[in-house]
Amino acid sequence: MFHQIAMTDRDLLVVAFAIYGCAFLYGLSFLLLRRPYSRVAMLIQLSCGFFVQTLGLNLRGTTIKAWPLGNPFEVAQFIAWSLVLLFLIIGPAFRLRLLGFLTAGLTTLIAGGSLAMHSWDHPYPLGIFGSNPWIEIHAALAIFSYSIFAILSLISFMFLVQRHGLKKKQFRGIYQILPSVQQLDLMAKRLLFTGVLFLSASLIFGAVFWANNFDLVPVFKLTATCIIWIGYLCVFTLRMQRKLVTRRHAIATIILFIMALFSLWPVESARGPELIDKSSVAPQF
Amino acid sequence: MQSGLESLFVLGTSHHKTPLDVRERFALTVDQTNDLQAQIHVQEGVRECLVLNTCNRLEIYCTVTSSSSLGMVRALLCKAQGISELLFEQYAYNYANLDALQHLLEVSSGLDSQMIGETEILGQLKQSFASARKDQCTGKIFNRLFEKSFQAAKAVRSKTNISRGQISIGNVTVNLASRIFGQLNQSRVLLIGSGEVGEKTALALKSRGVDDISVSSRTLENAQKLANSLGCATINFEDCTSHLEYFDIIICSAASPKIILNKTALRCAMNQRPERPCFLIDLALPRNIDPAVDSLENTYLYNLDDLSSIANENLYARRNEVHKAREILKKHAWSIWLQVRRREQILSVGDS
Repeated sequence: MFHQIAMTDRDLLVVAFAIYGCAFLYGLSFLLLRRPYSRVAMLIQLSCGFFVQTLGLNLRGTTIKAWPLGNPFEVAQFIAWSLVLLFLIIGPAFRLRLLGFLTAGLTTLIAGGSLAMHSWDHPYPLGIFGSNPWIEIHAALAIFSYSIFAILSLISFMFLVQRHGLKKKQFRGIYQILPSVQQLDLMAKRLLFTGVLFLSASLIFGAVFWANNFDLVPVFKLTATCIIWIGYLCVFTLRMQRKLVTRRHAIATIILFIMALFSLWPVESARGPELIDKSSVAPQF
Repeated sequence: MQSGLESLFVLGTSHHKTPLDVRERFALTVDQTNDLQAQIHVQEGVRECLVLNTCNRLEIYCTVTSSSSLGMVRALLCKAQGISELLFEQYAYNYANLDALQHLLEVSSGLDSQMIGETEILGQLKQSFASARKDQCTGKIFNRLFEKSFQAAKAVRSKTNISRGQISIGNVTVNLASRIFGQLNQSRVLLIGSGEVGEKTALALKSRGVDDISVSSRTLENAQKLANSLGCATINFEDCTSHLEYFDIIICSAASPKIILNKTALRCAMNQRPERPCFLIDLALPRNIDPAVDSLENTYLYNLDDLSSIANENLYARRNEVHKAREILKKHAWSIWLQVRRREQILSVGDS
């Protein structure tokens, strides 16, 4: 059905970016006026952006006949998409104030950044994941877990801001709109659990592929992924043991997410031609 | 010899110049206050005196027959507080005659309060006056001056909006608790001490859904009385510090000269509940909670000064009302001053 759309996938992703940008500016304008914004309006804007972005990614996925995760542009777009998906799931359920605004901000940044960097959207051969579905599930789950960690870092950031306000006896301004430290801490704990679960599942699927194609997985990629996974696993274990809580937990999750983002580049650059099906044809975006 | 009004003065310290840690060194107990008042009154040259002792101020109002009495009153006050006169001088102020009267009016109307426009000071002033009157430390001049100051305070409140939009300590506490815990219906509250401000704070929390409140006081009778009015349980004072980990919000308003909750006790409690925050409200003076507790992770300590400065954040909106109130009080002060002086003159003519 999406073939009937007159716009290209990139056009749709630009429209989605514009909608996310509007949502961010909407939230920002209210915050500058020191008034809470309408959660419903934010939810509607993000839902619209999500819908358009889904169409864009779907068009591209249909073209390449796989998950659109073949170049940095697609990875960034998929992270942004997963981020909004996650917000649409947890936002209305937990009613965390400002989460919509921060999600819109981060999504605008990631989606806008990927659109601005034309070199990221380089052509790649069709069937980049080969014909193995395991590696495709592995990539999708890994990117989804990264979006969970992105939301987690947003929540950790909100926690640190609220905590700072309480410790420094600040009363007015953004502190009144932010959720409580206990809510944020509890949410961070749940997201950490979910993120570790998805990342572990992703690694299990990846391991199945790795076991059968030992030589095809570069050591650098494997090492970078395992470091991030071990990092999150350590934070999760320490959190369960109540040894890494509140402020230190928030800082650790933010640092880990930054590391995870940086690890995407070595992972991407390490993606060698070994994984590529040589007979495939490169799509031109 | 000077007339009573010509030698009226007020000597004291207040939140304006004195930080909390110094104020708690200057603080007197109720018994010490009464003793000081009695001591001053029996001094030669002192006609009338009244000691006003609250969390935020310690003031001595006197009418004397000699100007040298100020030094004597200062010496007695420093002796009662156990501090040097040099230290006291750094933070003290004194006003004489019409300025002293203007100051009294501003105090009674809440204009000089830490939380501008608050009404509690009027009750405290009335209580101090009643106590001084009962002990026969006041006479014709003070009886008139203080009664008139109470009337002026009421007039200012009815003619201006200085108390409008006033955020109480209870409301500030509820707001902060919401920023820490979100919903308050699951929060457990421990109220240490049976002070009025503590009770009001607990009531404010109760009105926002807090159901689990425990009261602890050195005097079990006071604790039970307060627990009955709040509809909650009491716990032994000796036990409360060893069960801190069960409480999310701890309000201290005990009249204790020493720290009740120290860092070690709180650290032990927080080790039992590292994931759950603890909100500590110290409404006492001298403080009941060691300020070092604030450095512990996941604890949020607020004292009287913190809460008052938050409550005053909306003062900007009321600045015109404050100015208006001050002008009204100036007129009242002049009027009272002239009335009492005229009365003094008539009495002195009658005496001669």
